[in-house]
Amino acid sequence: MSQQPIVVCSFGEGRDGLPPGAEEVLHIGRNLAQACEAPLMWVILGPLPERASATAGLYGVQNLHQIDDAKLEANHTDAQVAALAAYGKAQTPQAILVHQTLEARTVAPRLAARLGGAVVMNGISISPIGQNFEITASAYGGDTRVIYEVGPKPVLAFIPNAVIPEPGSGSAIDAEPFAVDLSGVEERIEVLEPAHFDGPRLDDADIIVSGGRGLGSQDNYSLIEQLAEALGGIAGASRPLVDDGWVDSSHQVGLTGRITRPNLYVAIGISGASQHMAGCSAAKTIVAVNRDPEAAIFQHARFGIVGDALEIVPELIRAASAG
Amino acid sequence: MRIVVCVKEVLDPDAVNNYAVAGRLEIGADGKTLTQTAIPRLMNGYDEQAIEAALRLRDAGAEFTLCVLSVGSDPDKLLKHAAALGAEELISIQVDPATLDPQATAKLLASQIQASGGAEVVFCGRQASDDDQGVVPVLIAEHLNMSVVTVAREIRLESDALTIIRATPEGDEIVRAACPAVVTITNELGEPRYPTASAKIKARRVKPTIVTPAELSLSAEEIAPKVLLKQQFVPEVQGNCEFLEGDAAQVAGQLLEKLRAEGTLQ
Ligand SMILES: Cc1cc2nc3c(=O)[nH]c(=O)nc-3n(C[C@H](O)[C@H](O)[C@H](O)COP(=O)(O)OP(=O)(O)OC[C@H]3O[C@@H](n4cnc5c(N)ncnc54)[C@H](O)[C@@H]3O)c2cc1C
Repeated sequence: MSQQPIVVCSFGEGRDGLPPGAEEVLHIGRNLAQACEAPLMWVILGPLPERASATAGLYGVQNLHQIDDAKLEANHTDAQVAALAAYGKAQTPQAILVHQTLEARTVAPRLAARLGGAVVMNGISISPIGQNFEITASAYGGDTRVIYEVGPKPVLAFIPNAVIPEPGSGSAIDAEPFAVDLSGVEERIEVLEPAHFDGPRLDDADIIVSGGRGLGSQDNYSLIEQLAEALGGIAGASRPLVDDGWVDSSHQVGLTGRITRPNLYVAIGISGASQHMAGCSAAKTIVAVNRDPEAAIFQHARFGIVGDALEIVPELIRAASAG
Repeated sequence: MRIVVCVKEVLDPDAVNNYAVAGRLEIGADGKTLTQTAIPRLMNGYDEQAIEAALRLRDAGAEFTLCVLSVGSDPDKLLKHAAALGAEELISIQVDPATLDPQATAKLLASQIQASGGAEVVFCGRQASDDDQGVVPVLIAEHLNMSVVTVAREIRLESDALTIIRATPEGDEIVRAACPAVVTITNELGEPRYPTASAKIKARRVKPTIVTPAELSLSAEEIAPKVLLKQQFVPEVQGNCEFLEGDAAQVAGQLLEKLRAEGTLQ
């Protein structure tokens, strides 16, 4: 009998012709499949994203499956779980890997329960150990890493930016439809008003300027927006600003907000708590402005300015606009 | 109507972070456990907000019995706090948490909810601040065949359905879920209240019901962990910060110059 496959599962169309995080998880899946000498399969729920076939080839996917059904809309997690459970029972994968989105956080545990396997979130890397797997995950908001051993058939979610994907070469492969019967599934959650966000996204941004509690008051947040604009970036925030209603939750950078990977991350009046850094430590260059020379943010920063944000930021805006 | 809130005891995440920042977070000889005995144990922050979510429904006029449920070896402090806030029923499932994984925990919680009279609504925090896994509430819903709505920041209860504002990374989403449902609470819900001194004294009379896993007629296999913690370590942070010196205009100028020289800025 040939080896049971490693399955990468993606949902959503994404913004660049691929489901969110697809390449990162394909990268992890390819390496795991090689280590297990197992085939790699990729299953996509919903309409086929434009670049799926080509990308499947680049990561050595042997079968690209598409499950399309009118019931598989975004956020229809009852249908998603049912479809993937049927798929999982048919393919009997060794492991199912997903990119960790809010939606995946609801689907992955339920899928694991239906397939009788383990579930782990916040994965960073994975390797086989006998019939089992060893997965390294983040804990305590990033203050520690844990290594878990999980048994067969697990569903494992990987955090954004866990790896930098390296496509290989290989020609595109065609998607094969996989039919599931979802006629018996009734979605239990009714969306009355969907979230819609059309602005530029923190997770795509090249430059982010974020403000924290050190700004002192909501009015001062406009300095962050001005600096972001002057640098050609977008504005983010630490959690307390969201909690206090200065900005809405789409601005939050961190463990429970946006996980970003800009070229430049400017942190103003942010202490650098692990849960915040979980959303920006992958930035290429971090700049910190903080009154406290001992602030943790300076442990992560490439350039540091010790001083009052309200004095420094207007000068940064001026210098950036002059450039 | 019965509302159940599940709560977990965790190490104070701010204290853990402070130790980490100071480079003093240490793992014990077993290679798994944080050794700092000085770190306070407290109720997971999101779980406190889950209790707050239930109390706000009560403030809005809903009538229900509030049951607060915890799995752990010594949840006394947590449950006392819950009673002082207005929980009428306290249940403690006594088991060493180190022997469990999230799936076993969810099995225990789901079985106990069912055995003790079920629930129209189960509130949980969106995730625990120690393992950050956030799978227990979803699994409780799966086991009890309830719907699950995550990251709620505002909840309205109308007879047998909930209208919920979810704080998603895309902004607010409004959904409706029929009861019974599991709802997870996110920080955007806002500050949880503190009990008054007199409520604390009165709460001493509410005694927790103690349950052991054996009483829940779950097989050993059902609560055997599938996720085994083998090792925990503290990741290294590379610190090579170059501090810029001078007055505000000077440091701003220097910074922009350096970022441009590096090619980070055009
Ligand atoms: C489970 C969990 C999940 C979390 N998720 C997130 C998350 O996703 N994102 C997130 O951001 N946080 C998150 N947090 C919260 C996190 O732990 C911190 O509390 C938070 O990031 C702190 O925000 P802050 O740095 O803005 O505020 P503070 O920690 O209060 O820091 C303010 C900083 O500003 C500096 N300062 C003060 N005045 C000035 C001034 N005039 N000029 C310059 N500097 C000044 C101070 O020196 C200080 O360093 C989470 C916490 C938990 C427990």
